[in-house]
Amino acid sequence: MADPLMSLRDLRVEFDTRHGRVTALSGISLDVMPGETLGIVGESGCGKSITALAMMGLVPNPPGHVTGGQILFQGEDITRAKPRRLRRLRGREIAMIFQEPMTSLNPVFTVGDQIAEAILLHQDVSRAQAEKQVVDLLATVGIPEPARRAKAYPHELSGGMRQRVMIAMAISCRPKLLIADEPTTALDVTVQAQIFDLMRDIQREFGVAIVLITHDMGAIAEMTDRVAVMYAGRIIEQGTSDQILDNPLHPYTRGLIGCIPVLGREAGDAASLPPLAEIPGIVPPLHLLGDGCAFAERCALADDYCRAVRPPLEEKGHPVACHHAGQGVPA
Amino acid sequence: MGTARYITRRLAYGLILMIGVVVLNFILIHAAPGDPADVIAGEMGGATEEMMAQIRARYGLDQPLPVQLWIYLSNIARFDLGMSYYFDRPVTELIGQRIWPTVLLVLTAQLIAIALGVVMGVLASRRPNGPFSGFVSVFSTVGYAAPVFWTGLMLIILFSVIVPLFPVEGMTSARFRGTGLAYALNVAHHLVLPAFTLAIIFLAQYARLSRASMIEVLGADYVRTARAKGLGEGAVTFRHALRNAVLPILTVAGIQFGNLISGALLVETVFNWPGMGRLAFDSVLRRDYPTLLGVLFCASGVVVIANLLTDLSYRLADPRIRTGGR
Repeated sequence: MADPLMSLRDLRVEFDTRHGRVTALSGISLDVMPGETLGIVGESGCGKSITALAMMGLVPNPPGHVTGGQILFQGEDITRAKPRRLRRLRGREIAMIFQEPMTSLNPVFTVGDQIAEAILLHQDVSRAQAEKQVVDLLATVGIPEPARRAKAYPHELSGGMRQRVMIAMAISCRPKLLIADEPTTALDVTVQAQIFDLMRDIQREFGVAIVLITHDMGAIAEMTDRVAVMYAGRIIEQGTSDQILDNPLHPYTRGLIGCIPVLGREAGDAASLPPLAEIPGIVPPLHLLGDGCAFAERCALADDYCRAVRPPLEEKGHPVACHHAGQGVPA
Repeated sequence: MGTARYITRRLAYGLILMIGVVVLNFILIHAAPGDPADVIAGEMGGATEEMMAQIRARYGLDQPLPVQLWIYLSNIARFDLGMSYYFDRPVTELIGQRIWPTVLLVLTAQLIAIALGVVMGVLASRRPNGPFSGFVSVFSTVGYAAPVFWTGLMLIILFSVIVPLFPVEGMTSARFRGTGLAYALNVAHHLVLPAFTLAIIFLAQYARLSRASMIEVLGADYVRTARAKGLGEGAVTFRHALRNAVLPILTVAGIQFGNLISGALLVETVFNWPGMGRLAFDSVLRRDYPTLLGVLFCASGVVVIANLLTDLSYRLADPRIRTGGR
């Protein structure tokens, strides 16, 4: 097997809050292989966006601190890299697209200028060459009339167009790793599908590895090779997409999969199919986490042992952190 | 909307506003107690009833108020602001001499206030809980709370008396007759203290506003995007964040222009600066209605133009306003 492009080794990130210091990520270990798509899935507040920001060396500080572990990009620990080195990695080797295309572009500059800025920063090209590249990039991401659109301001473009612009900016320097933090959450369903198609095309063309962060198991099923499921700052289940989708072991993962609406199901089928499931409760506040399993309060299988002892991530067919892994009826 | 059409429309609104200002001030001044004929007579060293009637007839003070107003408005349409009761010279001539020192003072103060205020605010925003941020907060509060004449006197004591760097008063040295660059330098030297005195009040506001505005903008998604691109903190702060953070400052700068002119009145008095503010102040004491009205009319004109320029610069700075059809 090839060396991983990026490895997180026992990564800990803590935040200063008014409840004192809370642990947002407690010992995350992950590998991203060159050219693959890794999904990180979980509800809001589980730490998946912080994981993404940590991979860019962009954990907001203050109040955030990387307090332990390593982030290895091609073997180099970027938690120890100097700011100058990090800036050379960002945008050139590791690029990122965000959840909100509406607010992720600067409203006072044209989209062409914003893409050209990244090109001029990392490549030794003239302004005119950069502008030509911008038009080519906009064409690559499927924006019609790219030369005209390069001169548009963000507010003149639709949400889908803006996300395409963000993707164009992200791939402008041919990065090896593209981190996509909920790239389609703010978009219409039809536009979501288009953006996923575009990301797949780009992966095929550029060979870029993608980390797709999402709460949508449907997106996982469609896009990813491997999946890590996160809950309350930890990875609770990890495996290939097939393993996770076909044979989820953690009750939380089963719950997430139960949340996917099945297309074509009609009201009359209610008798034959289980209803669209929901996971009761919410992710507990990080400062209130105890010693036991963080999911115990919401879990139908939980017992006193679960509430007292946190299950480690163990190999049970694939890695999972649950005392009752695989037990009970799949949702 | 085209920029030319926009300007035309704004100028038309401005004209209506200025007429409103004139009418309102005219009524206010004539409602105030005190008879200009008495003052004029007093200046002449006393007058008989007959002479008083003559004075009233000469300046149209014997006419009913609406007629006086109508005469005044139709004169303004011909750029005639009347004759000063006190100087016995055309008000336009008086203002013509006095308006440029005021504009120079006000613009310099505004520039100092915005430039220094924004720099202080930006530096403070980088460490919102740091010592510099605390200094900016305290300085802003003191600067804003201190009366402008007190600030002026303190600056004079500090920088003209204890450390004699700058002249105490006037716009040029008493017997200065130079021209060209020498004249400009002499004026600039005299301008420093009054301009800073006037700037300090507004500086405080701009510093607070830009600190708050920058803290907000630095948390924006597009700032994160800029960092994710690999930009350094300098480019992130000054190119991506500041360009957005100055938008509210521009708005306030436009609104503050009127206050700046009224602040200039006090500063001109403290520093004996030969501007419109002192002319207005003296005119109030002398019941010199035509001069006072003329000054107010011109001041409102300056404010209208300043606001228009502010809005135009706002359109330049924010593309969403330029294209967002209203």
